[in-house]
Amino acid sequence: MKLKMLALLAVAFLVAAAVYGQRDPDYDKVVVLQTRIDARDLGYPPVDVIPDGESGITSLTVAPNGNLFGATSGNHSHLFVLIPRHGYVQPLGVIPGATAVTHAVAVSATGDVYIGTSPEGRLLKYSPQDEDHQAIQIGKPLPVTDLGQPVSGESIFALTIDRKAGVLYGLTSPSTHFFAYSIATGKSTDLGVVASTIPEGEKFDKEKMMSRMLVVDQEGNVFASGENGTFFRFNPKAPKLEELPIRAPAVPGREPWTRVDAFLLDPSGAIYGGTSDGYLFRLDPEKLTVTNLGKPLSQYRIDGLVRGPDGKLYGVGGDKDDMARLFSYDPSTGAYNLLGFVDVNRRPYYTWQAYVIAAMASDDYGTVYIGENERISKLYLFYPWP
Amino acid sequence: MKNRRMETHREIRRSGNRNALLPKRRLWVLGALAFALNGVAAPKMVTVQYRFFTGLPQMDGNWAALKAASDGKVYVGLACHGCDGHLVLYDSKTDKMVDVGDLTRLCGENGLRQGPQSKIHAKFGEGKDGRIYFSTHGGWWFDYARLATPEGYPGAHYMAYDPKTGQVQDFGIGPRYEGINTGAYDPRFNRIYGLTHPRGHFVYYDVATGAKVDKGRINNWDSICRTLGIDDEGNVYGNFGRGGIFKYDPRTDSIRELSVKIPIQPKGISLGRDYNKGETAWRVVVWDPETRKFYGVEESATILFSFDPNAGLDGEVRQLGQMCIPDFANRRNVPYATLSLTLGQDRKLYYAAAGKEFDYGGSAGLAASHLITYDLRSGKIEDLGEMRVPDGRPVIGSNAADTGPDGTVYFVGAVSVEAAAGEQNYGGKIGGIPFRLALFIFHPQTD
Repeated sequence: MKLKMLALLAVAFLVAAAVYGQRDPDYDKVVVLQTRIDARDLGYPPVDVIPDGESGITSLTVAPNGNLFGATSGNHSHLFVLIPRHGYVQPLGVIPGATAVTHAVAVSATGDVYIGTSPEGRLLKYSPQDEDHQAIQIGKPLPVTDLGQPVSGESIFALTIDRKAGVLYGLTSPSTHFFAYSIATGKSTDLGVVASTIPEGEKFDKEKMMSRMLVVDQEGNVFASGENGTFFRFNPKAPKLEELPIRAPAVPGREPWTRVDAFLLDPSGAIYGGTSDGYLFRLDPEKLTVTNLGKPLSQYRIDGLVRGPDGKLYGVGGDKDDMARLFSYDPSTGAYNLLGFVDVNRRPYYTWQAYVIAAMASDDYGTVYIGENERISKLYLFYPWP
Repeated sequence: MKNRRMETHREIRRSGNRNALLPKRRLWVLGALAFALNGVAAPKMVTVQYRFFTGLPQMDGNWAALKAASDGKVYVGLACHGCDGHLVLYDSKTDKMVDVGDLTRLCGENGLRQGPQSKIHAKFGEGKDGRIYFSTHGGWWFDYARLATPEGYPGAHYMAYDPKTGQVQDFGIGPRYEGINTGAYDPRFNRIYGLTHPRGHFVYYDVATGAKVDKGRINNWDSICRTLGIDDEGNVYGNFGRGGIFKYDPRTDSIRELSVKIPIQPKGISLGRDYNKGETAWRVVVWDPETRKFYGVEESATILFSFDPNAGLDGEVRQLGQMCIPDFANRRNVPYATLSLTLGQDRKLYYAAAGKEFDYGGSAGLAASHLITYDLRSGKIEDLGEMRVPDGRPVIGSNAADTGPDGTVYFVGAVSVEAAAGEQNYGGKIGGIPFRLALFIFHPQTD
């Protein structure tokens, strides 16, 4: 008994510094290396920033010219741009009628920005116009062209683009319709659903399951996940939405509640993805095979997945009650590396840690962008090792 | 060990003298040590009584969790990092200390092999039904590897202690995997409010409806506002950003960020304390129902301010002085402010100021706390001197204060003890000296 108590006391002393202080240097061991990460406020603080409660970043995409566009969710949705030459976030305006834009910003080959909104389900077009000389004016409406509601009564849940073909593809909520929108003709086509029933479960399971993103392969085929984690493919040449005999990896028994959180098209032609159970997988779009690459983290969710300049994949995992962690995956060796919490510590100027991530993107300069989705949110810039 | 504790307790009750715990020669050594802490000149002193938390010498901290209830009972939450915290009560009428129980067991989580319920880290509140409402916190994060994970800590519980029955009611887990770092109870709306750790979310539990609500993020984990203030209309206030004040209105169930800010002194010593602590918020505020203002001290330099939430659209903040030990005034190395601020019944604020950075086992070293007052009528700040117990030992530090219905002022903090061979009879060490937690008692009219 005495020995046990003394051992407990010794442990208490050892951890004392860690638990008493609000932040001690030991914490830096569990976060991303501080010379490799930074954060940006969403605007020009302290006044001209996207307000708290409207700043959750739920969409990020890189335009052909290298500019990063993002959209937020909350009481209102805002569109913003980060021009790498400037490096700051420039809010562009409030997206009309939107309180959420979830993985639903796409930029065409001509540079037009397409936005899929919730809850109204409108497809909007924003044409960038001399952002360099625009003053930030929080609250002004974003000038957009309303392209209509692709599926009547449905919100837009995800959006992607085939830039070569000039076609937008989307999923809708709650009924999981898959639609296409031709930029040339301005016509939307409802191509069917990827889930027909809500999985049986607890009272809080109220959604039909579909992937949070879409991906276009090198042949122009579009992939999504649907009911029971099953993959769906839209072949524009057919043109037909087909259910494939392959599924996203899941903890056995959890297939009905499985969805693909993130998709990534690799230059090799392979599609990588992460699932709601936290698995990373590789999908061969030609052979239609799925390889489970295991779980990088003990946590659920793969909140984002991008390719770094070193050929490695970078992702973030963690559920909404969790604390997000960054990891890398090296396709050449199959090795994971845990990089730590998404935390920026620039005392005495600023310090902030992202607990919930909802979007990621990477650009040709090698920067990985990580979008936080909380009541108060920042954009993180991660610089992978060369 | 249990028998030894009981024996000690009997000894105290028989003699009626707390000093019976310590042989005279040891007291002399501790007294000399106490004197040496303060140089050669005899310092100005104020004597406070004290009571140990019987049977719980290994408890290693207390923050904010102190409530002197209307029936004369004083409730204290004792922290134990890596082990189970305890809820205790001191009956001021019978001079009896009662261990209500270990928090992990009270939460029904003993044997889970997860991070224990190590603390009550926030203020208690007294309901109109006479119950004492509070919430719990963790204290073991597996070197941060399991911070806010299902494996690390189940989550904070909302709870109530009923003094009529002596029973604790568990309302269940609120925020998952997180503790309640900061909290307050509002009897008007019958709600327990909190800011979570590590994610800094504003949450509440509505006792009447059983609703558990998360209103989203307010702070970063390393600079969570340490006190929520509640006015007489049930509005809840706290800090965000660099001294900004937010207001939660229960009528609209919404948070509004006000334009006023509290006064904050620029950062302290580079890569010292300012690396560890946010210094961007008030440390503690108390509500004065007479002036309908909050009075508080901020973290960085213990600047005293008032906040009138009813002045204008966003309220008004006024700087009133500095509540640190006078020798530190206007210096950069003012010890981090403590949570030990209370409004006495004599219209004075009582504040236990640290002599050195004080955070129990994480303290910078030994120094005596001073009792500082601010007279709301005259605006005068007075240093009553070093806080010492009757045998001369100093109060090393304190992080909770409250005023009882009879005007007695209570603090919880640390006092030095002699280590016993082969037995854990202390909670930790400060400057190499073992300390134990104690309830300090000050009678403004007589002491």
